[in-house]
Amino acid sequence: MIRILRACLAGLILSLSVMPAAFAQEEEGADLQALLQSRADLVADASRRTVGEVLELLVESGLAEVPQFLATWQARELYQRDSDGLFVYVEDPDADPLTLLDISTGEVIGTAGSREVSQLRPNRGVQGVIAGALVQFQLSSEDPAERLQALAAIEDDPDESHLPLLREMLEEESDPAVRSAIETLLPGLIIAFADSDADRVAAIESLAGNVSLDARATLNPLLTTRREVADALPQELNIMQVLDPGSAELSVDEAYQMLVDDGLAPAIVSRADQRAILAENVVDGRVGGVPVAELGDYEARDRAYGALVDAGLAQPAPTEAEIEAALDAHVFFDAYREPSSAVTDAARATLDGIETRVGLFRLLDLSLDGLSLASIYFLAAIGLAITFGVMGVINMAHGEFIMIGAYTGYVVQTIVPDYTLSIMLAIPLAFAVTFGAGVAMERLVIRWLYHRPLETLLATFGISIALQQIVRQIFGTQARPLTPPDWLAGSVAINDVVSISSIRIAIFLLGAIFFVALWLILNRTRLGLEVRAVTQNPAMASSMGINPDRINMLTFGLGSGIAGIAGVAIGLFAQVVPDLGSNYIVQSFMTVVVGGVGNIFGTLFGALMIGSLQKVIEWLNPSNTLAAQTYMILFVILFIQFRPRGIIALKGRAAGD
Amino acid sequence: MEGKSIFTRNRSVPIFIGLLALFTLGVTILSEGYGTGALSVSFTKVLGMTLCLCLAALAMDLVWGYCGILSLGHFAFFGLGGYMIGMWLMTARTEAVVRANLAGNVIPPTEAEVSTATALQIFSVVGAEDWPWMWAVSDSLVLSLLLVVLIPGLLALVFGWLAFRSRVTGVYLSILTQAMTLALSLYLFQNDTGLRGNNGLSGLQNIPGAEGIGQDRISIWFFWASALALGIAYIGAAWVVSGKFGNIVRAIRDDEQRVRFLGYRVEGYKLFVFTLTAVICGIAGALYYPQAGIINPDEIAPIASIYLAVWVAIGGRGRLYGAVIGAAVVSLLSTYFTGGRAPDIDLGIYTIEWVDWWPVLLGLGFVLVTLFAPKGLGGLVDLIVRKDKA
Repeated sequence: MIRILRACLAGLILSLSVMPAAFAQEEEGADLQALLQSRADLVADASRRTVGEVLELLVESGLAEVPQFLATWQARELYQRDSDGLFVYVEDPDADPLTLLDISTGEVIGTAGSREVSQLRPNRGVQGVIAGALVQFQLSSEDPAERLQALAAIEDDPDESHLPLLREMLEEESDPAVRSAIETLLPGLIIAFADSDADRVAAIESLAGNVSLDARATLNPLLTTRREVADALPQELNIMQVLDPGSAELSVDEAYQMLVDDGLAPAIVSRADQRAILAENVVDGRVGGVPVAELGDYEARDRAYGALVDAGLAQPAPTEAEIEAALDAHVFFDAYREPSSAVTDAARATLDGIETRVGLFRLLDLSLDGLSLASIYFLAAIGLAITFGVMGVINMAHGEFIMIGAYTGYVVQTIVPDYTLSIMLAIPLAFAVTFGAGVAMERLVIRWLYHRPLETLLATFGISIALQQIVRQIFGTQARPLTPPDWLAGSVAINDVVSISSIRIAIFLLGAIFFVALWLILNRTRLGLEVRAVTQNPAMASSMGINPDRINMLTFGLGSGIAGIAGVAIGLFAQVVPDLGSNYIVQSFMTVVVGGVGNIFGTLFGALMIGSLQKVIEWLNPSNTLAAQTYMILFVILFIQFRPRGIIALKGRAAGD
Repeated sequence: MEGKSIFTRNRSVPIFIGLLALFTLGVTILSEGYGTGALSVSFTKVLGMTLCLCLAALAMDLVWGYCGILSLGHFAFFGLGGYMIGMWLMTARTEAVVRANLAGNVIPPTEAEVSTATALQIFSVVGAEDWPWMWAVSDSLVLSLLLVVLIPGLLALVFGWLAFRSRVTGVYLSILTQAMTLALSLYLFQNDTGLRGNNGLSGLQNIPGAEGIGQDRISIWFFWASALALGIAYIGAAWVVSGKFGNIVRAIRDDEQRVRFLGYRVEGYKLFVFTLTAVICGIAGALYYPQAGIINPDEIAPIASIYLAVWVAIGGRGRLYGAVIGAAVVSLLSTYFTGGRAPDIDLGIYTIEWVDWWPVLLGLGFVLVTLFAPKGLGGLVDLIVRKDKA
């Protein structure tokens, strides 16, 4: 805390030091050294009680070097020369001899051995008082920036003494920024330190609807409770609730343990305690007359323990009835640490209101999260929507095309150091590389297998593991960085609850662009028309003068190229590793299948459903993203039962069966 | 055909059983436990595990090669079988250790104390100390063995009933089964689901009640059990695919609609084959993991099931010995090349290290087999047999 204060002061001192010395010392006799010498004993041997007098003098003097002096004093870096009692700064406390500096001008005034000066070490209490004076000094500064700094210091370490200061200041403050800072700060101080409950309640109510973390951090401490037990409900305490042992909040065991801890009831003898006591009382292979060998049984142990109790060797354990009677004889309750019920009621009501608003914002945040996850799934699956959805080719190497796209981005970044430029270059390059790879794969392998779809699966799986291993050979197994440019690194925060990282917005936009572009290509261009014709009926299409081979090749290349671009986008937030693609392949297939094949609208809806569903499940069970994925997949499996052709099912001849 | 034994109806059965018996005999003679010791214990285990994989591949061939259902989730059943027997192995073994530890106490432990201490020992690694509900029968060998059959069977029954009822076929079914195994492995990866999360079950090679017997003998016992299971399953599978039932199943593979229009309840046949093969996979897993010693959710990741399909494809679909050949050849070659025993090839400018390049070779091998040898390695057998006839 002190360090922060000093950091603030450093700035302040810098700005003060440029003032002309003559201006600071316009009054004769208002020399800092002289002032201090007049109370030399109080400075040199300060106590919490007496230091106030010196500080008052210093503050009243209005001297420009006072803040620096106070900061130095507080930091225990002020020295006094033993020979003449002069207060000095030293240049470097570790040097020997020490170089002494004048406290007003900072000029070198001589040297001294470490024995010839004494370091002044104000104790913690005195340091606190000095810090308060410093804040006061800064608050009355002419410069609004300094006043803001002082307010920030108060926010970090609020104190009862600040409250009147700030109240006073609010009335006179004219600078709007400082004024709003005070207005933000004041309710917290009033709630913490004001004497009047009415003031505090008003301050609490002024926070209504404020979803910032600060507001909640101000209110929550008011509602802290402690759990107590008593014979009868004490009237003087601010009771939150009376607890019934055996209820969800307080189990019988916990309640009885509270009684034991407070010395109100004898301790229960647990099985472990019982065993230890029995073990201590083994006599001639018997405990209380029971042979040790028989003690592997609770009933026998109870008998042996009973015998020990009868013999006065052990404490009797309370019976069930005794435990119940002891619980009935006492009352268990949660009491607020805050004594005033008006304050706690107001805080509770205000906090409930805030929580409702926070809940609404969380919902918004959740939808944004779902949307951004959906865009990722959409990006990963959109290429597949073409190769699998439109052409019906099961390309298990689709994930590897994503991975190759990401590595292309990485390679471009190692050559072009400017991140913005390299991303701009990487996107078309990734498209080109994976387009080429896709066309090569289509020509060499897939076109021989169009009539055997399940075997395409195996062949492309073979290509997938080969590609993965080759990339592993070239780049190694460790993750390669694909760094987003600065303008994508931040995040857009609406308030303390809702924020979304820029990169997710970019991915969302990219997904939207892909969607529109693909829709246009498939539905508004000659190529799209031919693609649809070839996928619906290759023989008829070719008799119309379309070359199915060429169209299949181009379509497959297009789908693969898009996977490459998606790889660049995914690589920006995920780790670029050789098995990057296999993490997305199953989800991508599910996205396409759930959405319905043959239609990029289907993929869009599939991604939206899977993405938002996963986020909702994660929200219900926030500790566990694995569980969310599990349940999401189970849901997809069930969903397919009811809509085997996906959300958007093609009908009639387009369905192609 | 009526009345003829399966041995005479399907010529591959006597040959296969004969070869399997010879192989078992050979391994036993060369083993450390009962023979000359030419085969190390760990290699005996590898051979036993390979037989289990062959068994799973046999099941895969039944469901894919004969019934046309390309399941990419059959390794989930394999893993489940392993988990079911693993629970018993781990409980019994840990309980023995705990009893030995507690025996030093002055006061003898109660059953409840032993049980608590055992649970703590097993589950402290995932921060839990109570028995999860799914371990309820883990103290009984008989019930655990029953679960080995029941759990994979039930899962397959429910999953298959849902999928076949809504006529999910072909590629969609493949993706759905893949989703199933992915969901199962993700579920098991969680620490709080009761099967020790990504730690999996370990120490499974220690057989309770056989503490004094060395791994050299235990490995051979499991080898025998695996060979026996494979032999029985082969005969059973050959019997299932012959006769009328086999004809209908093959007809479903070739044209499902037509069989349905002929009045057969296609869903029932598919469900039977799917469930039967899941049970076989469960048994194979239950034999495999005590030899492997450890099982964790990584084992049932989707890729494992794809490999299973690939073995069958390489071996040759639609012929039972093809599946066995494919699984044995590919998995043994993989063990050889990734085990670091294969000599590296020095080309002067670049040294080919098999550990690194084997997956590439394997992947390209799949592609080549798919493109140029759709009948797989089993196709070679055809060549030999045809020559004989000619």
